[in-house]
Amino acid sequence: MADTAILLPGEEVLSESLPKSKKGTLTLGPGLRHIPPSTILSTTSGTLHVDHKKAALWIEHAHGRYLPAVGDLVIAQIHHSSAEAYACSLTPNTPFALLGQLAFEGANKKTRPQLKAGDLVYARIVKASKWEDTEIECYNSSTGKAEGMGPLSGGMAFDVSPAFARRLMMGTDKNGKQKGEVVVLEEVGEKVRFEVAVGRNGKVWVDSGSVKETVVIGRLLKEADESGLDVEAQRKAIKKALKEVGK
Amino acid sequence: MPLDSSTYALAHLRVDGRRWKELRRIHGQMSTQAAADGSSYFEMGNTKIICTVLGPRQPTKSGGRDQSREAIIEVEIGVAGFSGMDRKKRSRNDKRTQEMQYTISSAFASTVFTSQYPHSTITIVLHVLSQDGALLAACINAATLALIDAGVPMQDYIAACTTGSTASYASNDEDADPLLDLNGMEELELPFLTMGTSGGEDKVNVLVMETRIQMPRLEAMVSVGLDGCKQVRNILDGIVREHGKKLLSSR
Amino acid sequence: MPREADPSNNEREFVLSALRENVRLDGRAFDQFRDVDLAFGEEYGAADVRIGKTRVMVKISAEVVTPYADRKFDGIFTISTELSPIASPAFEVGRQDQTEILLSRLLEKTIRRSGALDTESLCIIAGQKCFHIRADVHVLDYDGNIADASCLALVAALMHFRRPDVEVHGEDVTVFGLREREPIKLQMQHQPFCITTSYFDGGEVMLHDASLLEEQCREGEVIISINRFGEVCQISKYGGPPIDGLSILTCTNMALEKAKMLDKVVKAKLEEDEKKRDKGGLMAELRADNEREQG
Repeated sequence: MADTAILLPGEEVLSESLPKSKKGTLTLGPGLRHIPPSTILSTTSGTLHVDHKKAALWIEHAHGRYLPAVGDLVIAQIHHSSAEAYACSLTPNTPFALLGQLAFEGANKKTRPQLKAGDLVYARIVKASKWEDTEIECYNSSTGKAEGMGPLSGGMAFDVSPAFARRLMMGTDKNGKQKGEVVVLEEVGEKVRFEVAVGRNGKVWVDSGSVKETVVIGRLLKEADESGLDVEAQRKAIKKALKEVGK
Repeated sequence: MPLDSSTYALAHLRVDGRRWKELRRIHGQMSTQAAADGSSYFEMGNTKIICTVLGPRQPTKSGGRDQSREAIIEVEIGVAGFSGMDRKKRSRNDKRTQEMQYTISSAFASTVFTSQYPHSTITIVLHVLSQDGALLAACINAATLALIDAGVPMQDYIAACTTGSTASYASNDEDADPLLDLNGMEELELPFLTMGTSGGEDKVNVLVMETRIQMPRLEAMVSVGLDGCKQVRNILDGIVREHGKKLLSSR
Repeated sequence: MPREADPSNNEREFVLSALRENVRLDGRAFDQFRDVDLAFGEEYGAADVRIGKTRVMVKISAEVVTPYADRKFDGIFTISTELSPIASPAFEVGRQDQTEILLSRLLEKTIRRSGALDTESLCIIAGQKCFHIRADVHVLDYDGNIADASCLALVAALMHFRRPDVEVHGEDVTVFGLREREPIKLQMQHQPFCITTSYFDGGEVMLHDASLLEEQCREGEVIISINRFGEVCQISKYGGPPIDGLSILTCTNMALEKAKMLDKVVKAKLEEDEKKRDKGGLMAELRADNEREQG
């Protein structure tokens, strides 16, 4: 991520920072606006990211609350259920997202998970629009497979910022390096076994079976998020924390 | 009108002639109002309360969908204008009254089996006819009787009383006596606390104190209070049994 | 009516099972406070308290008014509390909810009824003029334990505040501006602090300074106001599951320790602030060659 620049709202994206590949149309991601004929303005403050191969550019920022987007994996909390759907909250004090009663792997009218208010599910957003209720589902409706989604039992859900959740989900590049520059989960995972689910809505669910280990993982994540630790500092914090739980 | 509590040291008799560990006369009746699901009339000395219980029933306040898995306990306290020494209108939104309502509702929320009545409300309405100390305690006792009359399942009675101390907060005299069940005049003058117990075995459900007091005094007050609550509990139990007998014999 | 979002069942169960293993989510000991930070404003009587992520700001102001007819020799002291959406989306503007009423009653009982501020010293001419001291409590950020934070901020602000000096000639009252005469400290008789103890499992687990999540999971709480001399000003245990009478006494003992700790924090910060303000008296301040404050 060498070529990043900080932009403020209303600032123009300079032509030299545009993707260098000639073919294909330019794709603008969140936080950018095209003003014909050839001006690109930022609408928020953050760092500019450019993907040369895909001819895309977007702005990453760490503020605001999570806005649902189709395809995002989220951790939703059941609020109440009605005849055909569960109403779930993705973020507090926002309209509920709907999760169909049968939107689970292998669910039919007779066998479907009975969820109580307050239960957590790992789900994918399938419909998100300004005018309608957001819809989520716990299986891939084209294949019928759960693909890791479904109700989450036990464990603990930690709150992190949406930007940090995104960084956690960026995956690795071809050298095995973390693109999001968060190594907490990987490094801890070498010493401690645990299950994890990351929701784009700023929630990380962790279950290691042991209370102490889970607490330590949660604390490391929060620390890395809130104090903006870089990879080195994260490694240091992890070493120290793991020593405390005797690993 | 300050109360001359200095005479206490001479005869160990309080202004109304009681000893330190004596309750005032307690009188209670159940099923006093035919219209309510449960009702009671309760006197603690000159403090007189009428209590009615409505419910469990469907919530009347339309607050959107009610998805609660437990019954909600609402408390309304009306203090009559003529109940005190000087006629003063206390509004329903008075913060002190609201605090008392909250105290009573959360006290009973842990004693009533609220989980048996999802999506419903139990309303406790208290009318204070006359005030002479121990207002909160009398309200709690009256509500206990009315809830029993309404047939709401509870773990135990909540029995409440007040205790005070003859030490004023400034002095730290070691030989200050704890007092049980203060009347209105004593409440104005002496530090006191209101205590409610349930479940026996010295389990404190409610404890509210508003006056300044030395910490060592507290222990004596709490232990006298626990004992007082036990006495009140027995009296409440007597009232309930008496009422039960009457019901059976009238069949 | 918006409400604070309930924690999920997973979180609730995890918090409880962690507490049973003597673990708090943020790694604190059961009786440990989060970092307590106290800062004073540029003006007298502005205190800003942070306990962890909870933040409360208090501003004291004074004006000259006529005293109440039935209390001729007393000044007036009022406390107003505000929980606005700035603290949490669960609070609404201009609408008092349960939390706010309980908080304002608590401060009232702790500071006003216990006589922490000597109102008689606020009287200027009996029955005609007195000071009205007004305390505005604003909760700016809500992550649990606002009772302790608000009370701490209020006490600190009252101790920091200086009212203008007055001179009485017969019926005439002259109020001097802050520049004309050194303003006067309020007369505090004692400094009470609120200490909230949250309990779980019927009093088996007792926590101090609970975070918002811990508050949402707790069974009940005992709020004790106590000063460093061990005088209890107020106890409130509003219902909740019953606990032993003895545990309440233990709570008071623990609260005393914490009150002493908070008292020390306030004293140290006040001293620090005083040193910063002290420029060597009025004469030193009036000299032409004094250092200008860097804007």
